[in-house]
Amino acid sequence: MTSVLEEVVRRTLNGFAERLSLFMPNLLAMAVILVVGVLAAGVLRFAVRMALPRLGFDNFAGSSGLTTVLQKGGIVASPSNVVALTLAWAVVAVFVLLAIGALNLDFAVDLVARAFLYLPQLLIAFAVLLLGGLFAGFVRRSVLIAAVNAELPSARLLAAAAQGAVLVLVAAIALEHLGVGRQVILTSFTILFGGVVLAMALAFGFAGRDLARDLLERIVARPSAARMPPDDPMRHL
Amino acid sequence: MTEQVPLQPEVEARIVELGQVDILVGIPSYNNARTVGHVVQAVTAGCAKYFPGLRAVCVNSDGGSSDGTQEVVRAADFASPATLLVAHRLLPVHKIVTPYHGIPGKGSAIRTICAIAERLNARACAVVDSDLRSITPEWMELLLGPVVLQGFDYVAPLYLRHKYDGTITNSIVYPMTRALYGKEVRQPIGGDFGFSGRLAGHYLTKPVWETNVARFGIDIWMTTTAIADGFNVAQAFLGAKIHDAKDPGADLAGMLIQVVASVFDLMQTYEKKWKEVQEPEAVPLFGFPHGVGLEPVSVHVGRMAGVFRQGCRDLPEVWERALSRSTLAAITALGEAPDEGFHFPDALWVRTIYEFAVAYHRVRLAPDQLLRSLVPLYLGRTASFVLQVEESSAAEVEASIAGLADEFVRQKDFLREHWTR
Repeated sequence: MTSVLEEVVRRTLNGFAERLSLFMPNLLAMAVILVVGVLAAGVLRFAVRMALPRLGFDNFAGSSGLTTVLQKGGIVASPSNVVALTLAWAVVAVFVLLAIGALNLDFAVDLVARAFLYLPQLLIAFAVLLLGGLFAGFVRRSVLIAAVNAELPSARLLAAAAQGAVLVLVAAIALEHLGVGRQVILTSFTILFGGVVLAMALAFGFAGRDLARDLLERIVARPSAARMPPDDPMRHL
Repeated sequence: MTEQVPLQPEVEARIVELGQVDILVGIPSYNNARTVGHVVQAVTAGCAKYFPGLRAVCVNSDGGSSDGTQEVVRAADFASPATLLVAHRLLPVHKIVTPYHGIPGKGSAIRTICAIAERLNARACAVVDSDLRSITPEWMELLLGPVVLQGFDYVAPLYLRHKYDGTITNSIVYPMTRALYGKEVRQPIGGDFGFSGRLAGHYLTKPVWETNVARFGIDIWMTTTAIADGFNVAQAFLGAKIHDAKDPGADLAGMLIQVVASVFDLMQTYEKKWKEVQEPEAVPLFGFPHGVGLEPVSVHVGRMAGVFRQGCRDLPEVWERALSRSTLAAITALGEAPDEGFHFPDALWVRTIYEFAVAYHRVRLAPDQLLRSLVPLYLGRTASFVLQVEESSAAEVEASIAGLADEFVRQKDFLREHWTR
């Protein structure tokens, strides 16, 4: 009995050792890839953090509104640091996927392949969000300035609403691109946007019909007449 | 350069027929049938009376009027030679009526006028607006005389204006042009001016006719180019300028943006020049300055101050892109001041304009947004100016404007330092 037990244990351990010895290179490869990835990410982060400020990237980010977009998102680090960190983490992510692939397990290989296939969608969605954020900021400023110059009392509210509308649209595009809750997002956006447009049409066309009539009468009035009436107090400027 | 300026075959034929002229007066127009007849009469009478013996031509460069402007020009002439009270024989003033090609705007019209002037070897030229109601034949003597008789290349107008009139000129264009380019041209964007044939040819060499200069920046561009490129500049006192209300196709914000954009764009072109200029110098004045009755101008200080205050509340997030912290803080503090005693100091205003100029140069914000955000600041400054000179005489007002102009000169080192930092 004891010898049988010993034999079973010995065979089991031998089998484990054999499988481990077959698997060990893959495991070591994974570890090496991970270490290389972390080192590469560190070097890249350092290099980008040194290079970008010298190339004026932070100034460009300030003037283009990128810094404001980041700050509004709670990110207080400089844009160069953010880019460096993002690139470093991207490198780490790539090396993690490669490391998993090094294990040569079916499910791991499949996971890596699907991750790489999804990567372009992720990058496009990120670009859409970034550019959309910048555009939303631009729209906000344009509406704000125009509303102040038009002496509209709710200038900031209008600007925020315009920015919000653009951000909602951009988020819907990004999520639709990622395939996250596609139908829900599209339907929700359609209902929201359609509802807003319908409300505005009712408000302007029904409740504001007198205003609409005045506005149309002014639009079709003599086009060659001066915009400023003779007694306009701003005329002297 | 005139081979690049398309002219109609009839105009080409007329140029060949005329051969050469001594004086050319251009009248850009667009739907000005009501007023252009008077302008043509004054121009033709003035050329005949004050430049006897010189061949003169009046060129109407029209933007496709649909109200019969061109026909009015063709038919107009001074009513009776006897009314001009001259003893000499009056030579006829020839006319050329032509549409202009290019981007719609006064600049394209003037380009055509300059091209015709070059082709006709005109010695002296003038351009007057087609909606002037206060133009007299004497304007021709004053705009063309310094060129014909004294050898000047550019004659800027000097009008007598109500103290509340032309505040864009008084608070921005005049003091900046003086500080940047070193010439005391009081009204750089007057709209009516004289220039030599030599300068007309020089204008045609510049590659600006497909830009905003052609649309709305032509006046300041002509003045600045003449000064910065070293031509002899003078001024002529023309009295009051009364003209039909212009429809610029835009509101006040549009007018301010157009003018200031032109000034800032010219700073890029002539960066080397304005950095070298130290102190401004006087420019000769022709004509006989005298007082004239001016139409009253109504102002609404409360409304202007209101827009400024709203800007102080809502626009700091935009202004901080252009202004330094200290300037922004001073402005927002001003936004909380009551109407009585509201005062936008000269030093703060100059610093604001210079910082906006730097921000425009560095593209810290989309140019249109940057300039539109200047409007509330400009209205605040104007409200302050109106309150300041409410009880002032014309001389006191002019002294106040001169003080502002000196402040632009005093702070020019700040502009130089920050321009390329």
